[in-house]
Amino acid sequence: MTDWEPKIVSFLCNWCSYGAADLAGVSRMQYPANIRVVRIPCTGRMSPKFALAALREGADAVWVSG
Amino acid sequence: MDLIQHPRYIDETKCIACGACEEKCPKKVIDPYNIGLAKRKSIYVEYAQAVPLKYAIDPESCIMLKKGKCGACQKLCPVDAIDFDQKETSVKLEVGAVILAPGFKPFDPKRFDNYQYAKLPNVVTSMEFERLLSASGPTQGHISRKSKDHGDPKKIAWLQCVGSRDMNRCDNPYCSSVCCMYALKEAVIAKEHAGDDLECAIFFMDMRTHGKDFERYYDAAREKHGIRFERTKVHTINPAANDNLEMRYIKESGESISEIFDMVVLSVGLEANPAVTDLAKKINIDLTDNQFCNTNSFSPVATSRPGIFVCGAFQGPKDIPQSVVDSSAAAAAAGEILSTARNSLTKVEEKIPEKNISGERPRVGVFVCKCGINIAGVVDVPAVAEYATTLPYVEYAADNLYSCSQDTQKTMAELVKEKNLNRVVVAACTPKTHEPLFQETLTSAGLNKYLFEMANIRNHDSWVHKNNPDLATEKAKDLVRAAVSKAVLAEPLKESELTVNQTALVIGGGISGMAAAQSLALQGYKTHIVERDDQLGGQARNILQTAKGENVSENLQAMTAGIESNSNITIHLNTTIDDVQGFVGNFKSKINENGSEKSLEHGVAIIATGGHALVPEEYLYGQDPRIMTSLELDRKMINNDPDVAKAQTAVFIQCVGSREPNRPYCSRVCCTHTVDSALELKKRKPEMSVFVLYRDIRTYGERELLYREAREAGVIFIRFGLENKPQVNLEKKQLCITLTDHILNRPVRIETDLLTLASSILPARDEKLAVFFKVPVNEDGFYIERHAKLGPSEFATDGVFLCGLAHYPKPIDESIAQGKAAASRAITLLARETIFTSGQVAETNPAMCSQCGVCVSLCPYSAPDFIPGDARMNAGKAQINPVLCKGCGLCVASCRSGAIHLKGFDNDQIFAQIFAINMVN
Repeated sequence: MTDWEPKIVSFLCNWCSYGAADLAGVSRMQYPANIRVVRIPCTGRMSPKFALAALREGADAVWVSG
Repeated sequence: MDLIQHPRYIDETKCIACGACEEKCPKKVIDPYNIGLAKRKSIYVEYAQAVPLKYAIDPESCIMLKKGKCGACQKLCPVDAIDFDQKETSVKLEVGAVILAPGFKPFDPKRFDNYQYAKLPNVVTSMEFERLLSASGPTQGHISRKSKDHGDPKKIAWLQCVGSRDMNRCDNPYCSSVCCMYALKEAVIAKEHAGDDLECAIFFMDMRTHGKDFERYYDAAREKHGIRFERTKVHTINPAANDNLEMRYIKESGESISEIFDMVVLSVGLEANPAVTDLAKKINIDLTDNQFCNTNSFSPVATSRPGIFVCGAFQGPKDIPQSVVDSSAAAAAAGEILSTARNSLTKVEEKIPEKNISGERPRVGVFVCKCGINIAGVVDVPAVAEYATTLPYVEYAADNLYSCSQDTQKTMAELVKEKNLNRVVVAACTPKTHEPLFQETLTSAGLNKYLFEMANIRNHDSWVHKNNPDLATEKAKDLVRAAVSKAVLAEPLKESELTVNQTALVIGGGISGMAAAQSLALQGYKTHIVERDDQLGGQARNILQTAKGENVSENLQAMTAGIESNSNITIHLNTTIDDVQGFVGNFKSKINENGSEKSLEHGVAIIATGGHALVPEEYLYGQDPRIMTSLELDRKMINNDPDVAKAQTAVFIQCVGSREPNRPYCSRVCCTHTVDSALELKKRKPEMSVFVLYRDIRTYGERELLYREAREAGVIFIRFGLENKPQVNLEKKQLCITLTDHILNRPVRIETDLLTLASSILPARDEKLAVFFKVPVNEDGFYIERHAKLGPSEFATDGVFLCGLAHYPKPIDESIAQGKAAASRAITLLARETIFTSGQVAETNPAMCSQCGVCVSLCPYSAPDFIPGDARMNAGKAQINPVLCKGCGLCVASCRSGAIHLKGFDNDQIFAQIFAINMVN
């Protein structure tokens, strides 16, 4: 279990967190590669169904940020 | 105009900000952006959010430019953007107006030996603290001390008015306006970051939280976040053990205290930049005694030289919302003198016919970008492109060295045609910067621009997983697969076209509404002013003079005459609004003018409904003619009332109705107005005794000079607390006020002939109007603007704008500036006869709509409404106006019937992305 890394699907708001993730890149901040970003136009777009779908598809965690 | 452009030593058209140069540059220098808290290279981007994101070389430290050796960056640059031969160039411009926005310089506290900023590492400036708090700062938001231990501070003090309100140790007599609020913010954020163990204390003279919602923030800082406030001026900071700091001060009770802190933040003020002072001399514009740009309250963004305008802190210390108001106002002022030149230099874009793809099977083209070595240095780009060819519906996939370069764009457009592609995916950098560019390529190839998708394999992949090329390559494949799955479901989207009625409606004929109307009319737009009263002028008619001593009634008359004589303006007096239909570009309002009904058609509306003074319910108001409000005193002074002339003593009580639990906002104007009135009384009768009973004096900016002048003139200021308010009594016809003096700590009794109550400003509170225009109102009754900082003069609802007291209490100069600002914002719509809106909007399926109304009540932009009950089709169902929709998707996620679809981000597209992300491996 020690090597276990959670697989994370994140839903990021286009106007803030998605941009922040871009800036993390510009600043060359390093983080683990087990995260996949889905860009949404606003966290208002987020539906519980998306979180459930991600979990059903095998994600260990869902992160919504906006 | 002659301009000098300094060399950047980088060809901006070539630089792709890959950062290879920075990595190899051998020269490290102190980073001024991080106020010396970090180092940067000699070749640099000033900060991560910089626009344009292009590198520059600092000629002061670059080894090549200094000594002629090195050139590492030049050898490495993959696009050959380094140009050491760039020279200073002069540029000649012919312009009709100039706007000055050079900003300010933070005060340098090194010269204060009593605070020992230069010697003690843990004494920092507020600017340094801002960088420490910033997630993109040198400590990534972690607060650590500058001393060698770099420990976490447990106890931080903020010292206010460092370099402001100080004639003793520096020459800045004015208030810097913003420091109280930023110190509060820094203390609250510090506590949020560090947790409850952190002790924060703010040492201040007067707490100046005079902005919209600022007083509530102050209350929360004290009550919710447990920030300590000490009303005192700290005289000395001494070093203590472990690089701690010993602060000596005198408490309000008179007790002398020595207290140890781990860190001290000096809340430094705002000063004029000497370079700007030189420029002002060169271009011959007047400055104030403190080197800020001199302006008139009735033309608040005009400098002394016609055609040159000013905005921001160069005009005087001010915060972000006021700077934004000023900047829009300056744009309007420039527009007023340039209106004849409007549209004379515009070019018409060539339209390429769009290919019809309906019924076609998706044929996706995938372009995977290497971005030089930016992506290819980590991700195996050819493998990703190869993998893309295996994905369903992918017709073509290839890699490019630079997808954004002009020749690649051309090739892409040709490939779209040649391979008959009807969807394009680019795996490269971020859609936030590059989506519009690639969409243009699609348009040029005759494809609808919404048939495009990006996979972010640089910012979200190669740049952040440098040490894991295998995982980064896997991730890139995943992202490409998700993007392709989404693109396959993309449909061509239509952008609705909207014709804008070129007429404006200004609601409220007070001074801000007048300023808005005047600016609109001077820029050539037909404008209607609707005023409930029988004359223009609003509250300004009751005011004697501005803080700068300008006579209000004379200036108001001139403004009124200008408006009455402008043929673009129609004034509707004694008029109310009965109904408003329509939306941005096409409003239809029913007005009632002198009892007769009329209909007005207009493209935009500006709400300038103003406010009025509270009728006080305390301090015996209404029981004695000697007790009056500030405006009533002004009226008496305007009329040269003998009661004022014969008074021996006058008392002012501040915060009457403001900053109280049931009205927790500061009315912003009362302190300055009272100080001004007190001075006027002293001027008229120097032997009069004048007292001002206050809680905090909030004469922000250069208004502070009036406060100083008043004290010098002998006006006596006595402070009281909310729990210890003055008592007003009538004793045998003698008006008596008793309160406890804050310095003597003993009761004081004042017998007075005049008592002026600085009563708070209340908004007009017109609920009907808020409903008509679908705009929100806050709990105090003021309208809520689009954005507290960046959108102060407009609503989230398109086509509706805001200015004056309806937004928040403000003096005449700020009301006029906001009137102009609202006009400026409105003209961004009026200047275009037609507007194209985004194609990514929500749409209802009426067959599935259950008419629950969630979308109608939820939408921040008022886009959904119900189809009228008597309509022939879909009566009572919700529909979404694509013109107002911002495509946020709130309604889509909230619709219980699944009746709403968001084009471009529809459920099936997002699900396709989720399914395509391979999580089981």
